Amino acid sequence: MSNENVVIKTPLLSVRNMDVTFGKGKNAFKAVNDVSFDVYRGETFGLVGESGSGKTTIGRAIIRINKLSAGEVIYDGKRISGQIDHETDREVIKNIQLIFQDPMASLNERAKVDYIVSEGLTNIRHDLSHEEIEERVAKALLDVGLLPEFASRFPHEFSGGQRQRIGIARCLVMDPEFIIADEPISALDVSIRAQVLNLMSMLQQERGLTYLFIAHDLSVMRFICNRIAVIHKGVIVELAETEELFKHPLHPYTRVLLSAVPVPNPHVEQKKKVLVYDPSCHNYSANERPIWTEIAPGHFVRGSERELTAYREKLEKR
Amino acid sequence: MADKKKKLLFNRQMRRIDELDQHIQEGLALEQADKELPMYDAADYTAEQIAAIDPKWFEPHGFNEQDAERTAYSNYSYWASTFKNFWRNRAARILIVALIAIIAFAFIQPLLPNQHDPVTINNDPETGMHLRNLAPCSEYWFGTNAIGQDLWARVWAGTRTSIIIGLVVALSDLIFGVIIGMAWGYVRSLDKALTEIYNVISNIPQTLILILVSYILRPSMTTIIISMCMVGWMAMARFIRNQVVIFRDRDYNLASRCLGSSTLRIVVKNLLPQMVSVIMLQTSLAIPGAIGDEVFLTYIGLGIPTSQASLGNLVEAGRVLMMDSTLRYQLVFPAAVVAFITIAFYIIGNAFSDAADPKNHV
Amino acid sequence: MENYLQNKEVILSVKDLSVRFSLRGKSLHAIRGVSLDVYKGESLAIVGESGSGKSVLTKNFIGLLDKNGTIDKGEILFEGMDLAKFKTEREWAKIRGKKIAMVMQDPMTSLNPLKTIGWQISEALILNRGMNHAQAKAETLNILKDVGISEPERRYKQYPHEFSGGMRQRVVIAIAVACSPEILICDEPTTALDVTIQAQILSLIKDLCRKYGMTTIYITHDLGVVANVADRIAVMYAGDIVEVGTSEEVFFDPKHPYTWALMSSLPQLGEKGHELYSIKGTPPKLFGVIRGDAFAPRNPQALKIDYMVRPPYFEISPTHKARTWLLDPRAPKIDPPECLKRLKELENIESGDMDE
Repeated sequence: MSNENVVIKTPLLSVRNMDVTFGKGKNAFKAVNDVSFDVYRGETFGLVGESGSGKTTIGRAIIRINKLSAGEVIYDGKRISGQIDHETDREVIKNIQLIFQDPMASLNERAKVDYIVSEGLTNIRHDLSHEEIEERVAKALLDVGLLPEFASRFPHEFSGGQRQRIGIARCLVMDPEFIIADEPISALDVSIRAQVLNLMSMLQQERGLTYLFIAHDLSVMRFICNRIAVIHKGVIVELAETEELFKHPLHPYTRVLLSAVPVPNPHVEQKKKVLVYDPSCHNYSANERPIWTEIAPGHFVRGSERELTAYREKLEKR
Repeated sequence: MADKKKKLLFNRQMRRIDELDQHIQEGLALEQADKELPMYDAADYTAEQIAAIDPKWFEPHGFNEQDAERTAYSNYSYWASTFKNFWRNRAARILIVALIAIIAFAFIQPLLPNQHDPVTINNDPETGMHLRNLAPCSEYWFGTNAIGQDLWARVWAGTRTSIIIGLVVALSDLIFGVIIGMAWGYVRSLDKALTEIYNVISNIPQTLILILVSYILRPSMTTIIISMCMVGWMAMARFIRNQVVIFRDRDYNLASRCLGSSTLRIVVKNLLPQMVSVIMLQTSLAIPGAIGDEVFLTYIGLGIPTSQASLGNLVEAGRVLMMDSTLRYQLVFPAAVVAFITIAFYIIGNAFSDAADPKNHV
Repeated sequence: MENYLQNKEVILSVKDLSVRFSLRGKSLHAIRGVSLDVYKGESLAIVGESGSGKSVLTKNFIGLLDKNGTIDKGEILFEGMDLAKFKTEREWAKIRGKKIAMVMQDPMTSLNPLKTIGWQISEALILNRGMNHAQAKAETLNILKDVGISEPERRYKQYPHEFSGGMRQRVVIAIAVACSPEILICDEPTTALDVTIQAQILSLIKDLCRKYGMTTIYITHDLGVVANVADRIAVMYAGDIVEVGTSEEVFFDPKHPYTWALMSSLPQLGEKGHELYSIKGTPPKLFGVIRGDAFAPRNPQALKIDYMVRPPYFEISPTHKARTWLLDPRAPKIDPPECLKRLKELENIESGDMDE
C-alpha cells in the first residue's frame, strides 16, 4: 500500500532507549520509559498521547530542557544528549527549535518583539551586524504573515494567534532544520488554528523542515503528520504511517484514542461508541513480556508474542 | 438629534484612515454613506426603510488581508500604563509630592537665611543663660531642647541624617539582595549552599548582629549603616529568590534557554523586568524600615552619638520628656516626621506596586 | 425537523440583552443585544471563540457576572421572573443551584479541597432540599452511583485531590445535579480533560439530563462536542448570536459566513497537502462602537452594507435564522466554501476496522 514512499529515508533525529526520571529515590517518577524512534528528514512525525503520557517530556528532553536518565539522542549522526562540546551545542541551538503550546506564556512580556525574535541570533551569530539581524527579524515576521512594523511592539498587544506566529518567527529566524512543535494549536481559538497549521505546512514545503509534532488530538495529526507514534504512560505502544494507523490500528490503546476522535458531524458523533482502555485487557501472564516489533513494513507495535500473532492475523485479513 | 450627531462624529473618529481612503477611492465619501445609512443597526430601521436600501450597498466590499491582521492591535505601553495608574491614585499623588517637598526642604533648610545651627547651644543674649526647654516661639519655631539647641534646625538635620541612612541602606539591600537573590534562585547548583548560609545567619537574631557590630565599631552614622547593610540584604535576597523560583521555569525562560541565552542575559532581560514592581515595593519599604531601625538602635543606646542629630536621638530625647505636658513638643515634632516618612513610603510603595501589576492595566 | 418546535415550551427567554464591562474607565460591550429562547428539555450549544461572550451570556442566568459588569438593557425571563432585574444574593439564592446549576471548565475551582466529596454533595442537598444528614447521605450515595463513581461508600469519604480529573468532573456534575435543577449550564465541561475521558463525561451529562428531564446549555468552542450533544446550536461572535438553528441545520446548511469559516477551518475537513480553509485576522476588540457586521473585516465576501449597518436576522426556517446581509434578496448569491461538503462525507470515511 505505502510503496509510494520508497525514497531513501535518512533519519535526521534518532531517540535511542530514552529514559527520563523526575525526582529521586522513593519519589522518583519515570515519565519516559525506554522510548526509541527515528524522525526522517523532511517528514512530520507525530507523537500523540494523553496528558501525563510523557510526550511533552520527550520533546523537552530532545532540546535538552530535561535531562535524560538513560539512552541517547542522535541528531544528524551526532550524539546531542549528555555532555557535548561547545561546537555541537551551538549547532543544536541553531538547528533544533521548539514551538510552545501556550503563546500567552512563551513570550517575554517585558521585551519587544524584535528582541524576542532576534534573541537566538544575537546569542550564536556574532558575525552578523546589527542591521543584518534587524533585516532577518523583519523577514521572519513577514514569513509568518505579520507586518515588520510589529517588531517595535510588546507581545501583549497581540492576539493568541499572532503571538503564536511570533513564536514561530523566533524559531524561523535561526534557520533551523528541525522543529519540535509541542501542541502548537491546542491553546488557540478554533478560527486561528487553521492559520497556524497552514503556516507550518507552507514553511515545511518551502524550507524542507522536519517536524516533531506533539499533540493529544488525532484529528489534527491525520491532516499534518506523515507518521504517528502513540504514547501511553511514557511508553510508545504503536508507530505507523498515518493512514495505516487510522485504517489498521492494532494496539488496544490506539483503538481507544481513535474511537475518541471528535467528528464534527452530528450523525457520526451521536452514534459513536467510545472505547475505554483498561491495561488489564492485555492479560499478560508471568512469563510473557511485551516487545516492540515491526509487524508490517513501517508499522511497529508493542505486544506479547500471543498478541502479535493475533495482530498479524488481523493484518492479513484486510 | 444631537445625540445622533455625536454618534456620527464618534464613528468617524473611530474609523481608520486607510478605510477612509478606500471609501474615497470608490468615490463614496463617508458623508454620503452616513447620509444614506445613518443608523448602525438594522433593528433601528423599519421594514420599509430596509426594503428601500439602494442595491449598490449589496456589492462586495473587497478584502484586505493586512487589514484583518490589524484589527487586534492595541496601543499599550507597560510603563505608561503603570505611571498613569499610579498617578490616578490620589493619596499616593499627594504623598509623593509632600515627601519630595520634605526631603528637598531638609537639604535646602541650612542654606536658607536666619536659620540656627543644629548643634550650637543658644544663650539668652541678656542673661547669658542657656535657652533651655523654650516652648515654640517666633524665633525658635519648634522651641529648644534641654540644653538650648534649636529644635527646628535639629529636626531637619535629623531628617537629613535619617534619609541618608535610609537611602544608603535601601540601595545596598537592593544591590546585594538582587544579585544574591538572583544567583540563589536561578543557579540551581548554588541553591543548597546559599540556603544553608541563609538558615545560619537568619537564625541569629538580627538585633544581635546590629548590637555586635555597633559594639565592635565606634558608634557613628557609618557604623549604623554598615550594620544595617549587613543584615538587610538577607530579607531581600530571600524574597527575590522566591520570586525567581516562581518565574524560572515559565515557558518564555525555557525558550530563552533553548535559544542559547546565558544565565546573566536571562536574569537581566527576562527575570528582572518581570519583578521590577515587587522589587520597587520592597526597596521603598526598606527606606522607612532603616529609619525605624535607627530609632530603635538609638533607643537601646547603640545609635548615633547625640552630637549628630538624627530622628532616632531626637525621638529618644523627646521620649524622656514625654510625661511633662509642657515639654511634649520635643517628642511630637520628630515623631511626626518619622511617622510621616514611614507612612508615605509605605503608601507610595504599595500604590506603585499595584500600578505596576499588569493585571490592573486595561 | 420542521416539527422541532412542536410541543416545546420556552423555559428561559433572553430578550435583547446587552451587557457592558467597565475596565479602568473604558467600556467594553460584551453582549450586544442578544435574544435567545431556550426550550424545555432541549440541549442547546452556544459555540464561539474566546471573547465571543458565550460565558458572559450564561453567567447572567445565575447571577455570577463579574463585579464590573452590568446589564444595561434587556430581560431574562424565567418562570415569570426577570432575572436581569435581580440585585441581591438573596434573590439569586432561590435560583442558583436549585433551578439553574452550572458545571465549570476546571473541576478543581468548583470543589473545596479541604472537604470530603461526600460532605460537599450532602451540603448541597441539606441546604437546597432541606434534607437531614441521614437522608442527605443516602441520597448522596445514590447520586454518586448515578454519575458513575464506583464504590460510592469509599469515595464518599475521600478528598478532591484523591480523584482524577475526569472523576472530579463527575463529582462537580453530581453536585450540580443534586438539587435536580431545571436548567444545567455546562461551561466547557470537557476542555480540561483527555479525549477519552471527554466522551464519557458528555455521555454522562446526556444520560442524566434524560433521566432528570433537565434542559442543558453547553458552552463550548469544540464543534466535536457540539455535534455530540446539541439539539440546537447558537453561534456567537463578538458578543452577538450570528446564527441559530437545529444541529442539522447549522451543521449541514449554515448560512452565516462566520459559521462557514468556523466549520471549514476544521482540520478534519482538510486534505493532506492542501491548504486548510482559514479565517484571516482576529476577533475585534469590543471597546467602543462596532459598526455593521462585526465579522465584516475578516470576511472576504463582505458586502459594502456589512461595514455600515448591522444585519437583521433573516429567517430560513422557523427554527433557523442568521444575521447576515447575504440572505437579503438584493445580495449576490454566494455559495458556502467547497470543503463544507466534506462534512457530510465524514460519515463514510470512518475507518473500517473500528466497527467490530
